[in-house]
Amino acid sequence: MKTASLSLRNLTRRPGRTWALVLLTGFLSLSLFAGSVVVMSLQSGLNSLEARLGADLIVVPKAAQSKASFQNIFLQGTVGAFYMDAELLDEIAATEGVAKAAPQTFLATLKADCCSSRLQVIGFDQQADFTVQPWIVQSSSRELGPMEVAVGSSISAGVGESIRIYQKSCPVVARLSATGTGLDTAVYCSMETMKTLLAAAEEMGVSHKVTADNSDGVISAVYVKVAEGADIDQVASSLASHPSWKTAVVQTRSMITGVSDGLAGVSSAVKVLIGAVWALAFVILLVVFALLMNERRREFAVLRLIGASRRKLARVILTETGLVCLLGGCLGVAVGAALVFPFTALIESTLNLPFLTPSWGRILLIAALSLAGTVLMGMLSSARTAWKLSRVDTGSILREGN
Amino acid sequence: MKKVSIPACFILVLSLLLAVGCATFLGPCAHEDGSVGACFWAGRALTGIGAVLAVQAVMALAVRSGRIRLGVYLSMLPAALFGLLTPGTLFSLCGMASMRCRAITQPAGMVLSGIIFVLACAGAVLDLKKNRKENP
Repeated sequence: MKTASLSLRNLTRRPGRTWALVLLTGFLSLSLFAGSVVVMSLQSGLNSLEARLGADLIVVPKAAQSKASFQNIFLQGTVGAFYMDAELLDEIAATEGVAKAAPQTFLATLKADCCSSRLQVIGFDQQADFTVQPWIVQSSSRELGPMEVAVGSSISAGVGESIRIYQKSCPVVARLSATGTGLDTAVYCSMETMKTLLAAAEEMGVSHKVTADNSDGVISAVYVKVAEGADIDQVASSLASHPSWKTAVVQTRSMITGVSDGLAGVSSAVKVLIGAVWALAFVILLVVFALLMNERRREFAVLRLIGASRRKLARVILTETGLVCLLGGCLGVAVGAALVFPFTALIESTLNLPFLTPSWGRILLIAALSLAGTVLMGMLSSARTAWKLSRVDTGSILREGN
Repeated sequence: MKKVSIPACFILVLSLLLAVGCATFLGPCAHEDGSVGACFWAGRALTGIGAVLAVQAVMALAVRSGRIRLGVYLSMLPAALFGLLTPGTLFSLCGMASMRCRAITQPAGMVLSGIIFVLACAGAVLDLKKNRKENP
């Protein structure tokens, strides 16, 4: 009889024992797969946030910092708006060390009919912008026209549909690629469209004026790219030192560092958890295989008597373990996928960190490595048993029963 | 001694989770203005589907005849499929992916219904094999 056939029969004859081992190894592969996907998604989310911020400094009204709303708009998709006088843009752009300055205006909608919830609308200057435009270019090759909007990946409205914002119909012309950040829940439009929407909001009683004679309009943030060779800290302090501006300067580096610290904490916790599960599972597998050895000594002694070589016996055990680990590994990966991928939005909001699922290629690689790791672990833990069982003293074992 | 059908045990637990969960901790949220959207009715439909599947699972556990149990397992398949399609396909949900109905109710309903579908298939195949062995 062939080794694989004998191993398969051994496994199917004792379904209870086989399923217990499958579940144990499944748990092993589930922890490795799900844990690795979560850690990699967090890393991808951080990289995406870094790429999307694009600027060195962001100038916002002082109120934005005190409400902690600016960072929340990026990370959690919190809806919020704060304004400063648009005249400040020219002064910021003229500050020494500033290479580029691009304004953005935020508008928080009332309940939008598309989404049963409030939406964050972000207006940007299509000529000056260097943060949103490169992202939009990936989905749409042309500029946004009057009243046209681009939506983040978390909004279900598709291209060709329209969103009503403050009673104004805005056709969706692009859906942006996912970033894993709060930016996925926002709607993007040109500054001209934003002016129309602000006027519509004003008509409905939602005021955005900084002062009563705020004729030049308002902006919410100015994204600043520091000139080559200029010191970011120095530019930040000169931008922050204007007492009349009533603005605060956010360094994107420190924002990313803050997120990165949070990510490092979660990643370490997940890694420790994976390590603990694997160490525990290895010990349990060693004990299980040692117990099985005692239970199956007579079975292997009989096999030796009817002519099975020691090498064949070792191969039978290793094949059994391999098959059990392969089945358990596949089960673990499937359960891990069912637990992680459908719940990414929940994981993102619970961890409060950017969360971007890796590409399918990388996910398949993680699945293959998890499977390989599970099979290897199973083989290692049964190797000692295989070696011992293949060296059974046939005579003494068979006499034990008499 | 009568052998307990393992897939039916798992289906009973999962369908109860679907029924109770979608009416409580897995259910969609109420809108800010107190109005009720399609997602609310999707949650109600999932609760109903979960209850039906739970009754079917109890029947699968109670009956002695393998043929009747096979029929019960087969009848679970369309119900589970309906559960799979209810959130998002047959009933529309909120537009924002971060909303509770899209972040919790939809994935939970689909995952639970999907697993119940697979278990019902497994139960049907096992019973079919058993029936063939007993009545060749």
